[in-house]
Amino acid sequence: MPEQPYEPEGAIAGTGMGGAMDLGASEATTLERAPGGPPGAGPAGKPRSLWSDAWRDLRRNPVFLLSALVILFLVFVSLWPSAIASGSPLGCDLAKSQDGPGPGAPFGYDGQGCNVYTRTVYGARTSVTVGVLATLGVAVLGSVLGGLAGYFGGWWDALLSRVTDIFFAIPVVLGGLVLLSVVTSNTVWPVIGFMVLLGWPQISRIARGSVITARQHDYVQAARALGASDSRILLRHIAPNAVAPVIVVATIALGTYISLEATLSYLGVGLKPPSVSWGIDISAASPYIRNAPHALLWPSGALAVTVLAFIMLGDAVRDALDPRLR
Amino acid sequence: MGRYVARRLLQMIPVFVGATLLIFLMVNVMGDPIAGLCGERACDPATAAQLKREFGLDQPLWRQYATYMGNVFTGDFGTAFNGQPVTELMAAAFPVTIRLTVVAVLLEIVIGIALGVVTGLRRGRPVDTGVLLATLVVISVPTFVTGLLLQLLLGVAWGWIRPSVSPAATFGELIVPGLVLASVSLAYVTRLTRTSIAENRRSDYVRTATAKGLPRRRVITRHLLRNSLIPVVTFIGTDIGALMGGAIVTERIFNIHGVGYQLYQGILRQNTQTVVGFVTVLVLVFLLANLLVDLLYAVLDPRIRYA
Amino acid sequence: MLLDVRDLRVEFRTRDGISRAVNGVSCTVDAGETLAVLGESGSGKSVTAQAVMGILDMPPGRITGGEILFRGRDLLRMKEEERRRLRGAGMAMIFQDALSALNPVLSVGDQLGELFVVHRGMSRKAARAKAVDLMERVRIPGAAQRVRDYPHQFSGGMRQRIMIAMALALEPALVIADEPTTALDVTVQAQVMDLLAELRREYRMGLVLITHDLGVVADVADRIAVMYAGRIVESAPVRDIYKAPAHPYTRGLLDSIPRLDLKGRELYAIKGLPPNLSRIPPGCSFHPRCPMARDVCRTDVPPLYEVSGDRGSACHFWRECLDGGEQ
Repeated sequence: MPEQPYEPEGAIAGTGMGGAMDLGASEATTLERAPGGPPGAGPAGKPRSLWSDAWRDLRRNPVFLLSALVILFLVFVSLWPSAIASGSPLGCDLAKSQDGPGPGAPFGYDGQGCNVYTRTVYGARTSVTVGVLATLGVAVLGSVLGGLAGYFGGWWDALLSRVTDIFFAIPVVLGGLVLLSVVTSNTVWPVIGFMVLLGWPQISRIARGSVITARQHDYVQAARALGASDSRILLRHIAPNAVAPVIVVATIALGTYISLEATLSYLGVGLKPPSVSWGIDISAASPYIRNAPHALLWPSGALAVTVLAFIMLGDAVRDALDPRLR
Repeated sequence: MGRYVARRLLQMIPVFVGATLLIFLMVNVMGDPIAGLCGERACDPATAAQLKREFGLDQPLWRQYATYMGNVFTGDFGTAFNGQPVTELMAAAFPVTIRLTVVAVLLEIVIGIALGVVTGLRRGRPVDTGVLLATLVVISVPTFVTGLLLQLLLGVAWGWIRPSVSPAATFGELIVPGLVLASVSLAYVTRLTRTSIAENRRSDYVRTATAKGLPRRRVITRHLLRNSLIPVVTFIGTDIGALMGGAIVTERIFNIHGVGYQLYQGILRQNTQTVVGFVTVLVLVFLLANLLVDLLYAVLDPRIRYA
Repeated sequence: MLLDVRDLRVEFRTRDGISRAVNGVSCTVDAGETLAVLGESGSGKSVTAQAVMGILDMPPGRITGGEILFRGRDLLRMKEEERRRLRGAGMAMIFQDALSALNPVLSVGDQLGELFVVHRGMSRKAARAKAVDLMERVRIPGAAQRVRDYPHQFSGGMRQRIMIAMALALEPALVIADEPTTALDVTVQAQVMDLLAELRREYRMGLVLITHDLGVVADVADRIAVMYAGRIVESAPVRDIYKAPAHPYTRGLLDSIPRLDLKGRELYAIKGLPPNLSRIPPGCSFHPRCPMARDVCRTDVPPLYEVSGDRGSACHFWRECLDGGEQ
């Protein structure tokens, strides 16, 4: 069977969720080494861990610093939205429908007469909550399932591979529409649950692959020969080495989950009013784009910047953690 | 080769069954399949019971699934909410979505690969950085935002296109929607081509080609590009199935009456047969596209042998 | 004079600063002559060869000085188009690892024939016939059928023969072979080397043979240039160098070859590692590893002293070294 060069991440591209795919993982070729240069050029360094090395690189990476700053700000805003926005996102006044900027409303008013600025600020909480929790769920579930499959192989691995194939064959937005269209609860939980349900196969493939790689390392063989138990080998030797790719993909995926939540809310099956979400606002503003484009542009901009920040953060972390770069 | 295809087709069966069963369960267990059949009101209990019998909904789920799939393989996809056979909806919807997908794939190939080659050959220059940033932005902005913005700019503000596509959905009308549908994949194709070109550019065989005194153009087209495009072609192939499934958003924005539109309607009206029928076809397209990609891979790279 | 390299200097920009890969290499090759270039990896052999062929990756590489005269004309001042026509036709290169140096997705026939299409304007059909001819010349069995095969379908030895055929296709005056047998099994190495030597005689080509294998050199080379840290430290006819090396580094290399008559004795190894090319030691770059090093070696860069008419050594104490040195 031929090596499939790219994950059949089917279903995913075109929905924004495809962003979790490898963003050109082999950027690593920027390595500019003189051909024939002596091996191990550079100071015969003290052994540094992958993580401290990565941290050293990241601290000096402007892309990382910028995206981290944006994310910190987003987290702050979602924890204390009232710190920068006055009033309630639900306090709308139809008399102000489609009005331009006014006092306390630098972004103007939308079709329902809601303060676009306040709603945009409060919308951050939904996006950050969904993104973070969905990513955590996906990462934990996917790593455990994939890691065990990679380590033990056998029937569990075969079964899991088939199951992931099945999940990859279902278009994500479609699955979301079907599953969420019948949910009546208007909280973030069904959305998060759906993302975990459909997102874990992606992480499980990555985790499986990196565990298989790590398992073949000599030190793991050595630990096994010394009679270490499976759980000890998995936790002490394999997990620390296999976790880097999972973190990278999960960071990038976080951005795409935020984007997916907005997409589902836009389609009317994610969160529904009176919840506050950028997707809802964009959807609500789209009939009025002719008269009140500002109601569309501000939440769209906030959404784009948020997703961009997470994707760039993931990109930077990937570059830093990729051992091929050093 | 024949044996490989046969084996792959066999392997597709469980995936096909699993995926369609999953959708079938989602629609049936979570939704009320007859909810949409009495119009906007809820059905009265007697009618509901009768409808259930009529559609075999009193049977156990696995039997419902088996019956449904049995019907599908005889070409009977059931009835849509308005009484039309689902196959009729498909006959109207698929040509539109296929046209949209063709436009999207062509844009991916032409723009994506061209940008990828240009940036891959000029790594680190301003063009490269600029395009790379642009792809990041395109990947980050959700498709529905890209679509709405383009609609706002081109359709409303500048009046270059009509904001919504006519029922005929000609190729010309589908260029902008196709661009929206392709946007994220297009950015990936650019990045993938760029990485691939930049990587292969330093490879030994490109150096050999230069050492043979071939003109630069020939080195790039015949040696560098031929090798670098292998992963790109496979990505685009796999993407075809995904694009068709991902057309829901684009079709909604531009009011295109294709597969995504029908699915959306089916879901809103909780019409099981429409949803499951369309998804079944989409899953099939996705799986066949993947198989084709694998076969194409062997044609492009003689090192791949099928065992 | 076929090839005359004068004071060539090449640098690479790397993460750790500027790496000086070639620091003033001068050497010559006559028509029909075989020059062996000897040295450890990182000594600048391959970079010199790439600079001569004009296939150096620039950037990160940069030629900072010197001349490369080919039949009396400076390649570094030529127009790129003119230089391109020279590559393959006037000078050709044999690479170390044929598997990666041949294009994996084109048949060997296409890759051989391409030379005739591009340089001689032949039709594809005529070029294909030429390719079969060439494959027969390098003794590939069943050439007429195998011309359609892809590189991965050949054995390592056969692939290297195709590589040789590709270099000799247009009968160039100069061939540079960069470790042509290193990647091969020992049993195949001799066959490939013999074939190369035979064809070289037949075509009367100048050959630059880059290698770190002293055994190969003794059989086929006329002269030897020993490189260390981007410089030629000793240059001499083959016989002289084996009889009495005039540089402690050459002596170290010779002493580290296992010899049957000295079986049982501990094998000599040059102590230490080759220098980091971004931080080449001052004075003689070999001094930290040299058993004969004295104070002057730490401060003064030795010029290439003339040992005899056709022999040079870049060691302040070449006389002592010739006499046996101190170990």
